Amino acid sequence: MKKGKTYLAAGISGLLAVAGLVPHAHAANETVTVVLPEEPPSLEPCESKHSSVGRVLIQNITEPLTVIDPQTGEVKPELATRWEQTAPDAWRFYLREGVKFSDGAPFDAKAVAASIERLQRTDMTCNTKQQTLGGVDIKTNVVNDYVVEFKTSKPIPIFPTMMTVVQMSSPNMTLSGASRNPIGTGPYVITAWNAGTDITVERRDDYWGEKPVVSGARYVWRSESALRAAMVATGEADLTPIISVADADNPETDLSYPNGETTRLRISTMVPPLDDKRVRLALNLAIDREGLKVLFGEGAQLSEQLVGPNVNGFNPDIKPFAYDPEKAKQLVAEAKADGVPVDKAITIIGRNEIYVNAGEALEAMQAMWSEIGLNTQIRMFDTGNWLRYQNKPFPEPDMANLHQDQHDNLLGDATFTTFNKYDTEGVNSAVSDKRVDDLIAKAEPATGETRTKAFQEAFALLHDDIVADVYMYHMVGYTRVNPRLDWRPTLATNSEIDLSSIRFRASE
Amino acid sequence: MRFFKRSLFTLLSMAGLLLLVFFLSRMTGDPSYLFLPLDASAADRAAFSQLHGFDDPIYVQFGRYVVDLLNLDFGTSLSQQRSAMDIALEAFPHTLTLVSMALAIAFAGAILFGSLAARKPGGMIDRLISILSLTGASTPDFWVAIILVLIFAVSLGWLPTSGVGGPLYWIIPLFVLVLRPFGLLGQVVRGSMINALSSPYVKTAYAKGASEQKIIFVHALRNSMLPVITVAGDLAANLLNGAVIVETVFGWPGIGRLMIDAIMQRDFAVIQASILVTACAILILNILLDIAYVVLDPRVRHA
Repeated sequence: MKKGKTYLAAGISGLLAVAGLVPHAHAANETVTVVLPEEPPSLEPCESKHSSVGRVLIQNITEPLTVIDPQTGEVKPELATRWEQTAPDAWRFYLREGVKFSDGAPFDAKAVAASIERLQRTDMTCNTKQQTLGGVDIKTNVVNDYVVEFKTSKPIPIFPTMMTVVQMSSPNMTLSGASRNPIGTGPYVITAWNAGTDITVERRDDYWGEKPVVSGARYVWRSESALRAAMVATGEADLTPIISVADADNPETDLSYPNGETTRLRISTMVPPLDDKRVRLALNLAIDREGLKVLFGEGAQLSEQLVGPNVNGFNPDIKPFAYDPEKAKQLVAEAKADGVPVDKAITIIGRNEIYVNAGEALEAMQAMWSEIGLNTQIRMFDTGNWLRYQNKPFPEPDMANLHQDQHDNLLGDATFTTFNKYDTEGVNSAVSDKRVDDLIAKAEPATGETRTKAFQEAFALLHDDIVADVYMYHMVGYTRVNPRLDWRPTLATNSEIDLSSIRFRASE
Repeated sequence: MRFFKRSLFTLLSMAGLLLLVFFLSRMTGDPSYLFLPLDASAADRAAFSQLHGFDDPIYVQFGRYVVDLLNLDFGTSLSQQRSAMDIALEAFPHTLTLVSMALAIAFAGAILFGSLAARKPGGMIDRLISILSLTGASTPDFWVAIILVLIFAVSLGWLPTSGVGGPLYWIIPLFVLVLRPFGLLGQVVRGSMINALSSPYVKTAYAKGASEQKIIFVHALRNSMLPVITVAGDLAANLLNGAVIVETVFGWPGIGRLMIDAIMQRDFAVIQASILVTACAILILNILLDIAYVVLDPRVRHA
């Protein structure tokens, strides 16, 4: 009977295949299908920090002047061949010659000026500017066709790093709304966007760089992780950048990678009982973070600062807090004996699906804190309402709270983390400590060793002395990749999927 | 006069709906929290609000909305930066096609199986069909969707997992979408037919020697259709509001998914445009239902 059913299944499959009805995404060609979690709202170059935009656009359609090497974190040339600082607030960039946009327009200093103008437009809010160049105005001076000078409204020692996010776009692109048909210098061009269904791109013949192996790509989107994983398993898609740890059940196709995200619970360090260092330390010691890894994947690393090892300013000498519930109990008892109101309710501000198993992690931590005698309550919010508690002015400033947070710093410098998260004036900061402020102020205008050391000292101070956060993990992400592809995710996979980096395995 | 009155009521309810949607959507919060980076300052948020007119008093915003509406300007999507109505009109045909096909199948199936079940209430066929329709009406569609994908796409490889394409792409989404309306309509047809089949005119038809097939499918069925059409109308309106689960799971670019995404992103113009399009569709549906009543029931026609 079982055999009969198998024959029946095989027969029907065969018939369908012969009829060409079952889709085969990679039927003998060099195109790939990528399944994303969501449809991009646009493909506007100045919105490329939106991950759904960036994954299609960056390195495929548009390119920046400089790039960060995901392995070393170094800034490298792309459309600029070299650069130099000519004054504290001025930089000169030398452009690659012989590059053309896909519409035939030459890539030159005027095109760079147009791209900067696009970034600073006022008819819409460009998230690239907001997220990386917030508060900085850039003036462009065309020196000659292939030399351009930038003057910034304040000194920025890491200007070449910041330019890694500015996508160069054709001066012929209009400035009306967010573009759905971007024109860049990249190796691919958009050929179709069927709203709600798919986007297709094709390889350019006149690309300035090395010709990629992949001749074209189709992007589709499914919000369900299980479905994305199933699409790659069945061959309907070749790769999906994000699946949940629960769906990553096939070691042959599912690859984990450090995704640059670090998780924490921000402690409101100025509100009792959390203004007592012993209570903050007890919160950290009570968490069995090795045990909780089951929720995030074994590849997750215990964190001890809010940036990962790829970031300039990361301090490798800080040791993560060890799990020690007895010591935690003792610290709480000591604080109580000194009159600290440890019985006061501490509110955990959670955000639904901020990362996989976010709610489950909070529930487990709540149980662990209950074991050491702390009284916590969880309030889960959607993103919009969670953000009210993320930024100053805080809506309930007297509430003792632990704010669930996840932060990425893919630009490779601690300046994109420290001021906002820990300076007294930082928009997300729940810390006010002059020593930290001074270190940040010392690091920001500095370069080289001075800069790195000042950031490292700040992170050590925040962890060892202040205990500013409940530290959690340097996270990992999971991708599912069809075995016919020779491709591995990198730190950059969260924000871009460079089609040129994909090869096909020999057996295909 | 009656037509004029009914049209006026319809327009008033549309206006009420738009009013409600305008104010309710704005109560969900400030869009700048979702459209600007986490670290955006209060000044950045204020600039964003000013750019999009959210800093004006709510009555000024509403006045502007009404004036724009009268000029057929339905606003610009915050996330896509293009016409909100274009986005809604791109999505709606996908939902309309899916829902129409699902309802047609559910309707035909419910009439056939409901009538068969009513033929001998309490009999074997009746019990079997009742179990089937109750199961269909009470099974969570999200669960069914994932299970069917795992069986037919992943394990057997007979059907695609999701997406929009040839006939095979329709099978699982349609099956999932048909299940509940089929269950509910099947029960309504059964109940209605049992009543009709015990009516004096059916006994008269039997006495006159009419065939059973003719009695069931011509005489009794026509008279049983009014409650069925009423329930089918409600189901169609619900589905037009968005077959959200099916659209989300199967990556179907319909208006239900669009609406949910717009609500989550506080993209007010898209919420308003989507609801306006859906409301118009439901309005047309109600007119069609009224016509169906008139065709089926002479009493309505003469009244």
